[in-house]
Amino acid sequence: MKTRREFLQGLIISVGGASALSACGDAANVVATTAGERGRFYTQDEMALISRISDLVIPRTETPGALDANVPGYLDALMSDWASAETQNGHRAALQLISQRLDSLSGDFKAASETEAAAALSELDSDAFNGDSSLGGYRSLKGYITQSYFATEAGATEELKWVAIPGRWDPSVDIATGD
Amino acid sequence: MAEAEFDAIVVGSGMSGGMSAKELCERGLKVLVLERGPEIVPERDYTDQLAPWESDHLDNVAQDEINQHYYKQYGGVAYAIKESTKHFWVKDDEHPYEEAEGTSYDWLRGYHTAGRSIMWSRQTYRLGPQDFTANLEEGVGVDWPVRYEDIVPWYEKVETFVGVSGSEEGLDQLPDSVFQPAFELTDAEKSFKQKVETTFNGRNVIPARIAHLTDATEEQRALGRSNCQARNRCHHGCSFKAYFSSLNATLPAAERTGNLTMVHNAIVQGLDYDPANNRISGVRVVDAETNEARTYSSRVVFLNASAIASAMILLQSKSESFPTGLANRSDQVGRNLMDHVSSAGVAGIMTGFEDKTVFGRRPSGGIYIPRYANVTENDKPYKRGFGFQGGARPLGNSGGQIAGIGRDFKEAHKRPGPWRFSVLAFGEQLPNPENRVTLHASRRDRWGNPVPVFNVSYGENERIMQQEAVKDAQAMMEAAGCINITTSNANLSKPGNRIHEMGTARMGRDPATSVLNGWAQAHDVPNLFITDGAFMTSSACQNPSLTYMAFSARAANYAADLISEDVI
Repeated sequence: MKTRREFLQGLIISVGGASALSACGDAANVVATTAGERGRFYTQDEMALISRISDLVIPRTETPGALDANVPGYLDALMSDWASAETQNGHRAALQLISQRLDSLSGDFKAASETEAAAALSELDSDAFNGDSSLGGYRSLKGYITQSYFATEAGATEELKWVAIPGRWDPSVDIATGD
Repeated sequence: MAEAEFDAIVVGSGMSGGMSAKELCERGLKVLVLERGPEIVPERDYTDQLAPWESDHLDNVAQDEINQHYYKQYGGVAYAIKESTKHFWVKDDEHPYEEAEGTSYDWLRGYHTAGRSIMWSRQTYRLGPQDFTANLEEGVGVDWPVRYEDIVPWYEKVETFVGVSGSEEGLDQLPDSVFQPAFELTDAEKSFKQKVETTFNGRNVIPARIAHLTDATEEQRALGRSNCQARNRCHHGCSFKAYFSSLNATLPAAERTGNLTMVHNAIVQGLDYDPANNRISGVRVVDAETNEARTYSSRVVFLNASAIASAMILLQSKSESFPTGLANRSDQVGRNLMDHVSSAGVAGIMTGFEDKTVFGRRPSGGIYIPRYANVTENDKPYKRGFGFQGGARPLGNSGGQIAGIGRDFKEAHKRPGPWRFSVLAFGEQLPNPENRVTLHASRRDRWGNPVPVFNVSYGENERIMQQEAVKDAQAMMEAAGCINITTSNANLSKPGNRIHEMGTARMGRDPATSVLNGWAQAHDVPNLFITDGAFMTSSACQNPSLTYMAFSARAANYAADLISEDVI
């Protein structure tokens, strides 16, 4: 099977353009994670919390979910390699607050059933998007989860139907027929 | 006088330098291009082929790295500085500058082959006849020594080579270019166009004109260029060479003549002046990596280093004949520094298009509203005018900032969401000799060159114009039926932030009040031409790169004539 890069190269040549292909940067230092492990930035408890929230926010459906796409590992790399100390500290404090709120809503968020956990997170999410300014850190976390998911190959290609080279511009596509 | 090593030296390889070099080389002249930065090799340095998942941390530059290296650049163009594009932008700590007390300035740039022509946003418009006469009619600044008709053949020549997509509109104030097919407007944009043009007689909403190939010519294909693939990865470079940059087009065209010599990492420190012959006799450079100094010689010198850097080179070139800087008898070098001015962007939601989306990622562009102020509408409390850039697109939800979790939340991202229409005015800034760049008295960069000091402020005309522009935008949005109309903030853009700096060695008819004549040739020194933004006598409101290239081509052919006649 051709790799994507070989495929692109063939396409570029067939279009008659540059034979140039950009250098690929080193793949992100993203470590595959499971809820039971600590990350480079996250503690074991934090990783468990991130994993559960990610799974509830973007579950597996007909397409891969956040855990399939290793979103927790992506967030761990984001916090380790991108975030400043100030951002790291703010994020860590936000996780503590989120954890406390979810525990008080569900008893014990990590041990709660799928249904109970989803109900707790739904309530917290609703508060966060209805004016509870203390939950800004949750909105940031949700942004990281969502953006990371859609930046993964699964999220971009399977969920968003992202294509590397559209090849044309169509300004008017009917959603009913255009998918 | 000793035999010169080259016929011409071009300082700078960006938008205008590439065109100067191409035209000079094609006239059979031996040309040396001096580029202060390192070489960009597309196969190695373009990053347009990276998929979203092939970039680290969402392609964001690490926060500590921004604070250390990109505090000015990132503050100015965060949208363009990504982990995979940061190598196209200067590190501010290596290239410092100062701002006069109470002022601020964004000097946003990259030092490498092709300069900012790699990172530009590719909007491409001619100036109109009114732009060359406004100074004279209003008694502002000095009169352009050129009229629109003088530059028309050079616009045509450059456009044919560059490739400009756009639509023929027949507007006097924004003349048509030689076009390749435009990127068609979206349905929401067509609706906006229809309603605005009906409501406001004399206003037009047209497809943005951008330097992208949509029907590549044989000449363009021969340079390895092909049509735009609608990827919108342009800030990463383009392996299809579909958008114009000097690295994608003019430099290869110069190269294939066999007359081009290109030297990288060559920082010009000054121009040597020979008073006996009244000519520049040498271009002094220092190697950016080795600090090795050497001098090159040529019959003619083109400064294309950017409006600011070219002015600094002149100011650094002091001699007994020119104690305040070469070709500066008028004392205008470094003065009249202009940019375009914006204030609030205005946005609103257009309903009625929820069943529509788009295919492909349109690069840059969208709509353009050509200047109408003081063209078709003459009731304005300000001089000159502005054009609007903007467009409509489905808002999408990929930032995660909507309520909900689970399947519904996930699937909401598949839907394009409501259509958001936004516009931003780019306004003309009047020339003001007090807006200037000077050399710092003592502070030097790591190569021993003085750092620039900016002292630039907007005036009342810019402030009033932009207040009115925001009101106009709101009125047009309302007429088009937009809802939830919002403005970002009312502050004027920081001087320099539109990245259209110009005016620091203006053209004029009188050597006592201008630096260059109508050929962009220095009044004081006949073998010196300056065809970057420095020559601009007024700023107009159109994005200026096309005009820089047209004047570069014209000046290069004039210089070649003078050389062949042995005048210089």
